Amino acid sequence: MAWRLLDFRRHNIFENMAIDEAVFRETIIHNTQPTLRFYASDPAAVTMGYFQDAREEINIEKCREAGIDIARRITGGRAVFHSHELTYSVTATRQEEIFPADIAGTYKIISQCIARGLNDLGINAGLAKEGRAPGRAVKACCFSTPLQNELLVNGRKICGSAQVRKRGGFLQHGLLLLDFNPVKTADVLLPRCSSEQVLQLEQSVTSVHKELAQAIDTREICARIKKSFIEELGIRLEEGALSPAEQKLKNELMEKYTDTDWNINRKKYFKVG
Amino acid sequence: MKDFPEDIIYSCEHIWVKVDGNMATIGITDYAQERLGDILSVEFIENDTYVERDETFGSIESVKEVVDLISPVSGTVVVINEDILEDVSIINRDPYDTGWLVVIEMDNLEQLEDLLAASNYHDFIAQEESE
Repeated sequence: MAWRLLDFRRHNIFENMAIDEAVFRETIIHNTQPTLRFYASDPAAVTMGYFQDAREEINIEKCREAGIDIARRITGGRAVFHSHELTYSVTATRQEEIFPADIAGTYKIISQCIARGLNDLGINAGLAKEGRAPGRAVKACCFSTPLQNELLVNGRKICGSAQVRKRGGFLQHGLLLLDFNPVKTADVLLPRCSSEQVLQLEQSVTSVHKELAQAIDTREICARIKKSFIEELGIRLEEGALSPAEQKLKNELMEKYTDTDWNINRKKYFKVG
Repeated sequence: MKDFPEDIIYSCEHIWVKVDGNMATIGITDYAQERLGDILSVEFIENDTYVERDETFGSIESVKEVVDLISPVSGTVVVINEDILEDVSIINRDPYDTGWLVVIEMDNLEQLEDLLAASNYHDFIAQEESE
């Protein structure tokens, strides 16, 4: 079975979110093949889950001062700081027999693929057996609370993922930390963290470069993860590009993702697409 | 054992419907709430909005997942359960009673014929789980 690959590119966060949503919508409408995509955000950005209250979760002023973009995802979950990251997204319809209809099962399959890729790099990544209850102190940050089947390295979270389902199809995207700076992360999120809480974050999160004790080219990480998807799922990956319909929808969705009313106030966009 | 009351009908999108004349009270099934796990948030389109069958009338969020709520009938949303907006955990605790979501004033009662009786919904779930 062939999946489409949209290989690693850097875009601003608004474009990245618009591409993920355009691919997702076109996939479920036209029942097309699954897509695996890799990207990073430039400039750095904070994204928050669909239902989150920006004013309670993100230090908006701090982000504006530092030139950090803020975007609302269509997926669930908590706030994430996109800086020195590799983000993946997987989109598939309900017709794909590889994936079960529930979030835990889908997380497990995708996490196994990414874990295998990290193992191949020499990182001892495995799946969280059970979720950790969110603590109040670092409640806003996605990386403070691993879910069942999310990726851990020696008990520390290295990849945070989130999902949306429509018509049985799903989009799951997740951020693999290449580097992690707990002070900068705590600085852009709310509630403001004490030094003790920053330490707690530091102890519960790790990154690719930290585990390897050196920097590694992002495309090399992508190559290992692509290989692991192929081997783990028995699929072929065919490099592709956005279809004209996806490109058009992406351009339309840019209006939403650059709209403060969506990003900060969660103005409803039920009909877009 | 999941609960499948027989006095309501079901959609393949795991929504239940209780019919009273042309009014449809709508919620998510016990199976759906169990699959979602702890529900964190819910939102609906605005009151007095017309929704087509198979269109989204809101979204529901469990831990890290957002799922569309798909209307099983066409009509106007006339009542929204304000209690669950205050305490969303009601949906997990009591999906068929106090955890109802909205009431839709239907304009095409024939659409109800496409929904499933309890036993058929039970079979549908069994089939879905075996796939």
